Amino acid sequence: MLMALIALIGVFVSLYLTLYKLGYIGTLVCGTGACETVQLSRWGDFLGLPVAAWGAGYYLLVFVLCVGGSQERYELSRGLSLAILLVTGWGVLFTAWLTYLELFRIHAICRWCVGSASMVVMLFALAVWDWAGG
Amino acid sequence: MSPTPGKGKRRQPPPRRTKNSTRIFYLALAVIAVAGVGALTWMSRRPAETFASPVDSTLPKVQSNGYVMGSATAPLEVIEFGDFECPSCERFASLTEPDVRSRLIDKGVIRMRWIDFPLSMHRNTWPASRAAACADEQGKFWQMHDALFQTQDQWNGEATSNPNPFFKKLAGQIGLNQQQFDQCVDTKKMQAKVQAHEQLAIGQRIQATPSFIIGGKIVEGPRPYDEFKSLVDSALAKSGSPIATAGTKAPAKPTTKTRSSR
Repeated sequence: MLMALIALIGVFVSLYLTLYKLGYIGTLVCGTGACETVQLSRWGDFLGLPVAAWGAGYYLLVFVLCVGGSQERYELSRGLSLAILLVTGWGVLFTAWLTYLELFRIHAICRWCVGSASMVVMLFALAVWDWAGG
Repeated sequence: MSPTPGKGKRRQPPPRRTKNSTRIFYLALAVIAVAGVGALTWMSRRPAETFASPVDSTLPKVQSNGYVMGSATAPLEVIEFGDFECPSCERFASLTEPDVRSRLIDKGVIRMRWIDFPLSMHRNTWPASRAAACADEQGKFWQMHDALFQTQDQWNGEATSNPNPFFKKLAGQIGLNQQQFDQCVDTKKMQAKVQAHEQLAIGQRIQATPSFIIGGKIVEGPRPYDEFKSLVDSALAKSGSPIATAGTKAPAKPTTKTRSSR
């Protein structure tokens, strides 16, 4: 249940960044301005789509899986737990790559990205805990 | 014996969930969903003015630098700080700028000034800025500007580590004197000019590309045409200009595309 709540917050954070990237939202609420630098860098896109849009897709997938997993009939499903573990594990790897880019290539840190990275790590930790039978 | 966590086929059944906890879960989901949708709606409907920040009046004015398109008598000058390798600048150039040119620049409402702001994160942006400056030497900056953005994925840092041969090919396609252009690019003749533009952008405390100065405000990001126009309208209104930018009432000024660069 907690995972679904975190994933839903992640969906909205990613949508916010996606809408900014597409020009529908003005200046990002960021504080330092580094969010703009990161979002408008050439790494702000991945395979033709804003990275944030991929993030929205990721969080939506995790959300759907977790809401499914919270239904009584799937509560004990090992397959679903494994799927959530794999998806969130992939999320951690992708986030690690993005954080590397921020630190060593773009030389700017976006607070929204840090927030998203924290949620991705939390989701993975909870998925591990769930897989381990927590 | 209880199954080993993570290895057994089935886990211990969790304590049965109460109806109350399920209700709280769905309530929390609903609260997050409503708050999220509300926040996004509010942010997307803010008037364009709210995301423009004022230019620091203590900074020196941007004058006689960069490359200008439009009438010298246009009542408003919009300055773009751009990077040829930045995808967002490409997005602005492809999606918004055609309308800006046909509806605002060609009608004498604004003129546009491009200032290079090559960001260090882009490997080939400096050669691109130099190539554009070399094209300007032959009076074809804007043709090169457009060609660079149209082909950005073919010469950017991910595509090649040596973009100059590609730029030379572009120069041929837009009808530049090949020998003169090649020499200009090979000798990095325009390096100092691009450096001067970069320093100008830094001096204006520009933080992202594209950034625009529109009537004393800095606007960041590839704004869609409607927002761009609303910022122009607002700047014109504040300056007391009688020019109307809406519909067919736009002034029928001669379309003089002057280009200057220094």
